[in-house]
Amino acid sequence: MDPMEVFKIEVTGQEEFGAKKYRELIMDILQGLGLIRSIGRLYVYVDILKPYFAVYGLLRSGIPPLTVKDVGDVMKVQGGYQIKINDEEHMADLLRVLGERYGRERIEQPARDIVIIASDTSPSELMVANLEAEFLQDLTDALVRVAPEGFRNRRNIMTKDSFFFIAAEESLTPEMVSEIKGKIREMENA
Amino acid sequence: MLEPVMFTGGLYKHDLVVELVEDLGGYVLQKNVTQTEIILLILVPTEDMAILQAMAKELRGELVRAPLAGTEVAVVTPTLAIHHLPHSACDIAEYLRRHGSKTNMLGLARGVGREIAQINEYETALINEHDAAVFIFGNFQECIKKKESLYRNISVPVVVTGGPEIEAKDLPYAFEYVSSIGRVAHRARKATEIGSLDRIVESVGRALDKTRSSIAKDPLTTSPPRVMDSVREQVPDVEFSYSPLPIALNLTGVRVKLPYDAYKDAVKAVTFDEGVSLGEIATIKPSRMKDYILVRILSASETGFVF
Repeated sequence: MDPMEVFKIEVTGQEEFGAKKYRELIMDILQGLGLIRSIGRLYVYVDILKPYFAVYGLLRSGIPPLTVKDVGDVMKVQGGYQIKINDEEHMADLLRVLGERYGRERIEQPARDIVIIASDTSPSELMVANLEAEFLQDLTDALVRVAPEGFRNRRNIMTKDSFFFIAAEESLTPEMVSEIKGKIREMENA
Repeated sequence: MLEPVMFTGGLYKHDLVVELVEDLGGYVLQKNVTQTEIILLILVPTEDMAILQAMAKELRGELVRAPLAGTEVAVVTPTLAIHHLPHSACDIAEYLRRHGSKTNMLGLARGVGREIAQINEYETALINEHDAAVFIFGNFQECIKKKESLYRNISVPVVVTGGPEIEAKDLPYAFEYVSSIGRVAHRARKATEIGSLDRIVESVGRALDKTRSSIAKDPLTTSPPRVMDSVREQVPDVEFSYSPLPIALNLTGVRVKLPYDAYKDAVKAVTFDEGVSLGEIATIKPSRMKDYILVRILSASETGFVF
């Protein structure tokens, strides 16, 4: 079962096999980069005779920034706050952010997953990483990987809740872009 | 008749296998040491196979037939980018290697796209130095048909792989077309995927058999393994080559992995027991691969004798 609400792929001509395989390929790549859960609807249109490749997707609700309380448990202790880190993936970002906010001399790390800050203000709401920016970078990377390799003329329009990616062998013309937009709209309305 | 086999076993006492093969009049084509394991590609006289099997059993090794041993196959992808590698291309190359072939992976400089795909003279000549080539294409049949221009001028048999089913008449320049191996983003692990790799190996085997049968009509003056053995003996510097396989075997000759200018005369001067030199029975020319020496053995109709 697809983790997405809608996933449509359309390829011109007698290319049923190509459409089926590209569906698997897109799933593999999106899953590999951990993006699949953030995409709600995905429409892929390929015209192999022109040739061009287009993807339009709607994103699920925005990803909130990662804060200190998301990566660990924050507790008030004597002389400051203690963070017990649960998610080590963002450890480097966390230490950098704490260093910038409180100064290195006020941060102590007695164990690998324990950080103590000598401060009266809680670090709970400090932003550790902007996941949305990371997500958009990964998404662009995924789209470039998915598109056939020879399609080097690309356009990628990203908004807060959607993305529209076109790749073609020839230069992209306004007519081509509007034609593709029309095709995608037809797929949406079908 | 020499039988191509692969011995896999422990490093300990493997010298006994090498000595036995030499005593039987066979050849060790390749030796790969991986920590405590060794893989030997061997040509051994068919009538003496039982002796080698007994030795392999005694050493707790494994002896399997390697039908592609002594051949060099080019695995060609439109480029070496993430779109084509590592999955399908590496799977095919590795699978061919497991059946004894020496494979070289080759990414074309401008092989991508449908309309813009092209191959240059150097790439064509390099592929022609191999015994067969496998061209790996994608999932759209229109593109696979259009990309015929990439292998139209290649003189060795070309096995084309791609995703969809395409009739042979639509690809007249391909030796055979193997479907179900298109662009994928995962390693081949399902039974059907492994089955497709088997079909590629079978197809390459048929392509090589076709070349062998055409060689048999006008046999080579001597066999490539014999040239390899003599070069190894009389040009000892070849053992100091950094290449894992200092002498690569083809169906019509060998590639000696030494600089052409410095060693061409030494290779030409290699002499056989019959009194002829390699320069008299083969053309020695620079290989398109790096600065190597390409030896192409002349046929009996050109030299007038066979030994």
